[in-house]
Amino acid sequence: MIWHIVRKEILENLLSLRFMLSLILIISLFAASTFIFVGKYRQESGDYWKKTNKNLSDLRKSLSRLNDLAFHEQQIFRKPKALTLCVEGYEKSFPNYVKFNIFNIGLPEVKGSPNFTLPHFSDVNWVFIISLILSFVALVFTFDSVCGEKEAGTLRMVLANTIPRYKVLLGKYFGAMLTLCIPLLVGVLVSLIIVIVSNIGGISRLQWLKILVIVILSLLYLSAFVFLGVFVSSTATHSANSMVLLLLIWVSLVILIPSLGRTVSSMFSKTPTRVELNRRLLEAERQIWDNSDRFGKNAGNSFPDANDPRMNLPARARLHNALSNVKNGIIEDHHNKMMAQALIGRNFTCLSPTPVYQRASEAITGVGIGRCADFYQQVKRYQENLKEFVRSKDTEDPDSRHLIFGEDNSRGAFDWRTISKKPLDFIAVPKFQERDLALSQSLKLAVWDIGLLALFNLVFFTASFVSFLRYDVR
Amino acid sequence: MIWKIAKKEFLLNLMTFKFAVGTILCVVLVSVFVPILAKEHQQRLEEYNENVTANEAEIRKVMVYKNILPTVYRPPNVLSVFSEGAEKRLGTSAKISHLDVPEISATSNEVNPYMSMFPALDVSLILRVVFSVLALLLAYNVVSGEREQGTLKLILSGEISRHQVLLGKLLAGLMTLLVPVTIVFIIGLLLLMSFPMIELTTSDWAGIGLMYVASLTFISAMYTLGLLFSTLTKKSAISLVLGLFAWVIFAVVVPSGSIYLATQLRPLESQEKLEAQREMTIQEYRAKELEVSEKFPHWRGPKSDAGGAFGQGYTVVCARSCLDDASKAYPLLKSIESNYGDSIWRIELHYIRSLLRQNHLARNIARISPISVYENVMSTLAQSDLGSLQGFIDNARAYRNEITEYISSKTDNFSSYSYFTICKKEDAMEYQKRTEPFLESMKSENKSDRERARDDFDKWKNSIMAQHSPLDLQDFPRFSYQPAIVKSLKRAIPDLMLLVFVNVFLFALSFAAFVRYDVRSD
Repeated sequence: MIWHIVRKEILENLLSLRFMLSLILIISLFAASTFIFVGKYRQESGDYWKKTNKNLSDLRKSLSRLNDLAFHEQQIFRKPKALTLCVEGYEKSFPNYVKFNIFNIGLPEVKGSPNFTLPHFSDVNWVFIISLILSFVALVFTFDSVCGEKEAGTLRMVLANTIPRYKVLLGKYFGAMLTLCIPLLVGVLVSLIIVIVSNIGGISRLQWLKILVIVILSLLYLSAFVFLGVFVSSTATHSANSMVLLLLIWVSLVILIPSLGRTVSSMFSKTPTRVELNRRLLEAERQIWDNSDRFGKNAGNSFPDANDPRMNLPARARLHNALSNVKNGIIEDHHNKMMAQALIGRNFTCLSPTPVYQRASEAITGVGIGRCADFYQQVKRYQENLKEFVRSKDTEDPDSRHLIFGEDNSRGAFDWRTISKKPLDFIAVPKFQERDLALSQSLKLAVWDIGLLALFNLVFFTASFVSFLRYDVR
Repeated sequence: MIWKIAKKEFLLNLMTFKFAVGTILCVVLVSVFVPILAKEHQQRLEEYNENVTANEAEIRKVMVYKNILPTVYRPPNVLSVFSEGAEKRLGTSAKISHLDVPEISATSNEVNPYMSMFPALDVSLILRVVFSVLALLLAYNVVSGEREQGTLKLILSGEISRHQVLLGKLLAGLMTLLVPVTIVFIIGLLLLMSFPMIELTTSDWAGIGLMYVASLTFISAMYTLGLLFSTLTKKSAISLVLGLFAWVIFAVVVPSGSIYLATQLRPLESQEKLEAQREMTIQEYRAKELEVSEKFPHWRGPKSDAGGAFGQGYTVVCARSCLDDASKAYPLLKSIESNYGDSIWRIELHYIRSLLRQNHLARNIARISPISVYENVMSTLAQSDLGSLQGFIDNARAYRNEITEYISSKTDNFSSYSYFTICKKEDAMEYQKRTEPFLESMKSENKSDRERARDDFDKWKNSIMAQHSPLDLQDFPRFSYQPAIVKSLKRAIPDLMLLVFVNVFLFALSFAAFVRYDVRSD
């Protein structure tokens, strides 16, 4: 019996004006966004490879000796991802660049930023279309699902039969969901076809899987809105009223609550400023130099001759290493604070399903704020590896004092011989490669958000079920 | 007769569910948002005051003219509570120095880049989003709904002409929408004024008044849009769906899409080229500076560390040769610096113009949506738009010239001693007189003699230093920047006219459609 209702609903929807309008709007948006994505992705990958190759060639150029590798400043950029087709995760305005040598690592920075006179805007991509437009369409399909039938007088006829109410409700739900699937799937398909035809590099199996997960997530998200629509429809007596209520709810959930994030963030935490960071760095440096004797006698002295008795090289190395550690720690702390501040607002906005859905799809595709944190961590790990590499190479050299610390390269290597000057094979040097997370790991990151979306579904379903059971069909 | 219809419709509207829900939502949103925004504004005001006081304190410490390097700040505008515009994206201060010419820039690194994921929040967001929906909801069934009920043919069977009916409906809609708009403005203002630090000037009141008018014009445009859809369709459900889709396109698709298109159609100048040019200019500058240094090798002289305000040092007591070199070197260096500053500025300007062109295009594309037009008007009236910030920067640039003029006139075109040192001619002579015996006694075998000589010399130097007080800068030009409502009104007029035109155009269209409307109900 349910399928009867579902079929009827779908057929009715298919013939309606709203279906035609939404189909046209959504497919054209999907197509347009994909065309733009393709062009942008080509350019970004080109830029990325240019910059990365420049970094590598700089590395090769300065790689005549081991000590140069240690002090060489590498510039690493974030890699553009093909899956930003699905969700962009504000990456345009997030830091995308880190500069480091094996001792010190800077704060991630925004390089090649777009036009700052324009407002930040989210690219039109799958998640944008689904979270804003399709959620709206879901409400347009369901606002009259119960009260509209009551107004037409057909609801009581349906219920005069032996069919239980929950079956009618589920029929309405599946009818709306299946109708929504059409623009969604057609849009996704059009988008994928454009991507494949335009030949910007194949889609790997992992990416296919991730796309599949995103489509499922989108269905889960839309289903929450369908339940919401059915719920409001089964509390209202007139379809006009239910539309009004739904619209205002939609505006609050999709536009207003996500806008509150910034305010909440700045209300509950202080913005960490550069001035403060610099002050802390200076303070730490001063403290270490003032207590230089803590690292050994004469740790603060430096003379051109390594064998000068007034100098204590191992202590100086300890001092410098402590200094880099403290500085790196302060920078990391600052970075964590910035992240934490943004995350407060983000978590608050998760009162609405829209940011939850966006966050989950960001986690799945591996973009967004989580990816920025991960990128920074990966660079740091690479820095560690490189340091280990330098250390292991250094032990092979009998002439070196094996004291690896971040003081002035020429002085350390030539006057003091603290670090090996042996030539080096470029092939053997580890190179940075940004890794994507495996599907299971991304799913693990998204599991809370998926749970939240399921919870939204459950709440709206229960609400619609209860209110429909008590609905006066006359 | 028009009035009768308008009154009836107005009363009917007031009792509807949508009106109640919409108004309550607006009231709730305003009462939540305005205090938060006002508090933020207060914070910025405090910061601004702190900055200005710190700057003043530094100016009072200035010892030599060379060190006058103040920073000017743009006072935060209370109207940005209503529309944030570009204010948070752009830098609101400008450092006045010999080397850089002030130019619009992104906000400094103070800001957390991760916060950029949240869109802006201001009162105009509520007006833009909620009121436009409310207007469409009020308008969608005024004609098609009455036809469905069968009342439309009853009305038109009387003597009344169609244009009267339509005008009556329009008036009724406007009267109805006037109520929540007025409530929102009144509540917003009351909440704003309850903050002790916030004061509204006459120009602020004028701005708020104009924003009120602009809001009404915008809402009436959205209402006539709904009216048009209502007269185009036979069923109110269809006109609702059409109206909502139009709304989604105007509110969501156009604002994002326009920026998107603009960035694609008008790409920016390459930043690498900019960097390369800048690098070249810097090298040229360094070379010229070196040339001067070689010509006058002693010009730097002994410097104090950072005692001279704005973190800058100045030349302390020294020999005559240093002072003479310096007084010849500084005018040359100054002209090199100002040339350098100008050429760097020209290079930057080229890039910034490309940013502005892109911005301009994006705004023009977005003008197909009345919602974006309204946003423009609001940010312009709130003086938080790009144009207003450019006005500030222009002022800062003029101020820089003024300061340069002032210093040049005070220091005989940067050549007099007071430009770079506290040391006077007599001090330099004295210095020379004392140096010789000092050097002589330093050669002595006795250690205590050497120390005594050094002590004496230092004591004398310090006594000279102590004699000097900061410069008297009574007639120093002060920076004044008052955002002028008249200027921003001038910028807002085209967009306001566009909104009025949209009103007239949509009403004319709906009139044309209504004249041919088939009023028979099924």
